Amino acid sequence: MPIEYPAANGGGVLAEHDAVRTRVGIFDVSHLGKAHVKGAGAVEFLNTAFTNDLNRIGAGQAQYTLCCTPEGGVVDDLIVYIRSQDDVLLIPNASNTSEVVRRLKQAAPAHILITDEHESYGVIAVQGPQSAALLTKLGLPTDMAYMSWVESDFQGSPVIVCRTGYTGEHGYELLPAWSETGKVWDACAALLPEFDGRVCGLGARDTLRTEMGYPLHGHELSLDISPVQARANWAVGWEKPAFWGRDALMAEKTRGAAWLLRALKAQDRGIPRPGMIVKNDAGAVLGEVTSGTFSPSIKTGIALALLSREVAVGDLVVVDVRGRDARMEVVNPPFVPSHVK
Amino acid sequence: MSSVPENLRYTEEHEWLANTSGVTKVGITDFAQDALGDIVYVQLPSLGAKISAGAVCGEVESTKSVSEIYAPVSGSVSAINERLAVEPELINAEPYEGGWLFEVEIEGNPEGLLSPEEYRKAIGA
Repeated sequence: MPIEYPAANGGGVLAEHDAVRTRVGIFDVSHLGKAHVKGAGAVEFLNTAFTNDLNRIGAGQAQYTLCCTPEGGVVDDLIVYIRSQDDVLLIPNASNTSEVVRRLKQAAPAHILITDEHESYGVIAVQGPQSAALLTKLGLPTDMAYMSWVESDFQGSPVIVCRTGYTGEHGYELLPAWSETGKVWDACAALLPEFDGRVCGLGARDTLRTEMGYPLHGHELSLDISPVQARANWAVGWEKPAFWGRDALMAEKTRGAAWLLRALKAQDRGIPRPGMIVKNDAGAVLGEVTSGTFSPSIKTGIALALLSREVAVGDLVVVDVRGRDARMEVVNPPFVPSHVK
Repeated sequence: MSSVPENLRYTEEHEWLANTSGVTKVGITDFAQDALGDIVYVQLPSLGAKISAGAVCGEVESTKSVSEIYAPVSGSVSAINERLAVEPELINAEPYEGGWLFEVEIEGNPEGLLSPEEYRKAIGA
C-alpha cells in the first residue's frame, strides 16, 4: 500500500480523502494480520483474554477489542469476527499479529487451535457514501448492520463482506482468499470512474481516522498507554470476571489515569505532528501529540494528544511546532460527524 | 515528466529564481512540489528580512512531510506571496507562476546556481 497514488492519476492525500468523505475510495489493506481461533469454546476462551465483552455479540457480528498485558499495557487493538462459538477470525495490526498469536497460544487450552492466517485472506476496504452502490454492482450484499458480516461470493470465489472500516464513513471490508484478492481489487477499481471514486493510500487512511479520533496502535494505544488513558473504556467489559490486565486497569480506573487522550484543533495555521510538546500559556508541559495532521475536511491542523488529566475540553493550549507556538483548543472528537451507522 | 522552464535558474535544493541580479522571484520547482505532494502550509521569511544563500528561510509542509526552504541567494526580502497563506495549494498547481514564494533583492554575486540543463541532470529528467 503506497502513502498515496500519483497526482497525475487523480491521486494525492487530499483527493483520496475527499473521495472517501463524499463518494467512495478503496484501500488495499491486505497487510493487516489475520488469525483463526478454532475449537470448542473458542469465544469463551477469547472472552477471558481480550478486554471487550464478547457476550455482547453473536455469530455474524464483529467487535473492536484490546489485547492487554497483565500490567494493562496494550499489545494490540483488533477486530474479532465470530463465525460460531467455536470458530473465530481475528484481524490484528500487521506488526502485532505474531505477538497476539503467541500470547493466545500460551494461554489457550490444548484443544483450541490458534493459527496465523496471514496469507489466507486479502483485505480490501471499500469506504464512503457510495460504497454500497459499488458493491451492489459487484453482486455483493450490503444491507448488514454496522459491525456485522456475511459470507458471500464473487464470481465463484468466497468473499467475507463486513460492515466495518477505519474512516468514519459508511463502508465495508472485503476478505477474499489471498489468491483471489487481485481479481476483486481489479473489479472494484474498474467501477471507480463511475462514482468518481479513488484508489487510496496510507496517507488518506491516516487523515480519515485522525478526523474521527480513532486510535492507531503505537500512537494512541501502546504498552505504555492503557485503554483507561486512551479513553477506550467503552471497549472494556468491566463487569467480566476476568480478562488480561483486568486488575491493573480496574485500579487505574478507580484512582483516575494520570494522562488522558484529548483532541486538539488548531486556531491558527500550525499543523501538529506526533511527538510535539503541548504546553499551557505559562509554558508548563502538559503532554505530547500522539497523532497530528492537516485535516483535509476542516482545513486546519488537528491532533490527538496524551495530556495531563487536569486539562479539560474548552481549554486553550500551545503546541510547540518546530519552535513556533501554535494555539490549539481542546475539543471532543470526532472532528467531523461520523456516518458509520 | 517534471517541467523545467528554460528562462529560470535553479538550486540543488529544488528552488528556482527568475533573475540572477536585481530583484528576483523565488519558488520551488515542479519536481519538488510533485515529490512533496499536497502542500497545506507555507512559512515564508518576513518582509524586509535579510536572508543568506544556503541558509534556511522558511518551510513548506505537505500532507506527507515538512521541508525547509533554503535561500537560493543572499539579499533582503522585498515581497512575499500573500496568497499562499490561504491557498498553499497554488504551489502544486502553478509552481512557476501563482505559486512563487517571495521576492528578494539580491546582494553580491549569486554562486552555485544551475542552468535548466544542469538541473534536469540533477533530477534525472
